[in-house]
Amino acid sequence: MLKGVNRVLVGAAGVVLVGLGAAVLVGSLDLQRRWGLTLPSAWPFDGPRDVLLSRAAQTKWRGEGWWWPAVIAGLGVVVLLALWWLLAQVRRRRLRELVVDCGDGEEAVLRGRALEEAVCAEAEAQEGVERALVALLGRRTAPEARVGLTLAPHASPAVALSRLDGEALEHARVSAGVGRLPVEVRVRAVRHRAERVG
Amino acid sequence: MSGIEGGGGGGGIEGGGGEAGGGVPGARRFWAVRRVPAFLVAAVVLGAAGLLLYDVAAVRAHRPAMEWRRRLAHELATRPLGDGWVVGGAVVAVVVGLWLVLLAVTPGLRSVLPMRPGRADLRAGIDRRAAALVLRDRAMEVSGVQSVRVKVGRHRVNVRAQSHFRDLDDVRADVKGVMVEGVRKLGLAREPGVSVRVGRPAKK
Repeated sequence: MLKGVNRVLVGAAGVVLVGLGAAVLVGSLDLQRRWGLTLPSAWPFDGPRDVLLSRAAQTKWRGEGWWWPAVIAGLGVVVLLALWWLLAQVRRRRLRELVVDCGDGEEAVLRGRALEEAVCAEAEAQEGVERALVALLGRRTAPEARVGLTLAPHASPAVALSRLDGEALEHARVSAGVGRLPVEVRVRAVRHRAERVG
Repeated sequence: MSGIEGGGGGGGIEGGGGEAGGGVPGARRFWAVRRVPAFLVAAVVLGAAGLLLYDVAAVRAHRPAMEWRRRLAHELATRPLGDGWVVGGAVVAVVVGLWLVLLAVTPGLRSVLPMRPGRADLRAGIDRRAAALVLRDRAMEVSGVQSVRVKVGRHRVNVRAQSHFRDLDDVRADVKGVMVEGVRKLGLAREPGVSVRVGRPAKK
């Protein structure tokens, strides 16, 4: 979700910058005359002698009663949205608790941290795994997991992954009572020196 | 994508859900969240809009505008478009804008190779550096290999080994075989090609 928002907004900012810069450059380099471009009549820049924002343009709306309230309201909205967007980057949305369906109509609440620690301990007990980091994300009823797996020297990534899937993650799926637990795993390895075995 | 459940007597563990193929979502590339660019853009927008809002509100409350705003209005109204600063600023804006658009549309995370998904809701990726370490350890097991450097690119694995005994061609063939096998056992969604070069260590 944040991924999509970030990419759309960053892309929009890029398009705006390119558009403004290119529009100014067309005026600066006098491209409309040199290349014979036909620009719409409302085009703001007319040749290299023109300015970015003339006094007349700066004071055009100032007399209107709605102008300043509109400017303040618009800037306020921009400030609030930018603040929300900024905070979303630094906030980590760990899942605090998740709801487990007990099967008899009852529901239990499981602490997210407890499940994280259980999965982490089980993964680290696995042969060939040096360290594991587990984070639960998503919503209470639809949890997701991120796993960072650091392999010990001479471990096989594919074996470690399928064992993680079959043991630690399978147990997490069962104990969380969810049929689907989307998991993202990043595999790393501890740096170690090359050594001759034979 | 044919030899998925090979694995050479590995008990079929690395085959996992075997016939996964390319259509399973786990095989897609990892997309970066782009936290840092988003943070920077948000900070710049927040700073600029916040400062302007403060000043506009201050002027509405009959206090004088800040110096920078009068200066900015003056510059905007007097500096011609042909001026070097304006042209330079416009070029910078275009370059930064293109960079942001590029960041927005490319996946990023080039250091992560997607692994073959065992099941639909499991996505895994391995760091290229980790893959290189695993392959290096396997190459060291070939007899005759004294030292080896493995670089894992996104489409190709480059192996440079130095052999202090045995015939070079034999060592090359062995290393090649071990590397191809090793790449398959990494369980990558898209297996990179392998190129091997073997030489003698430099004379001391």
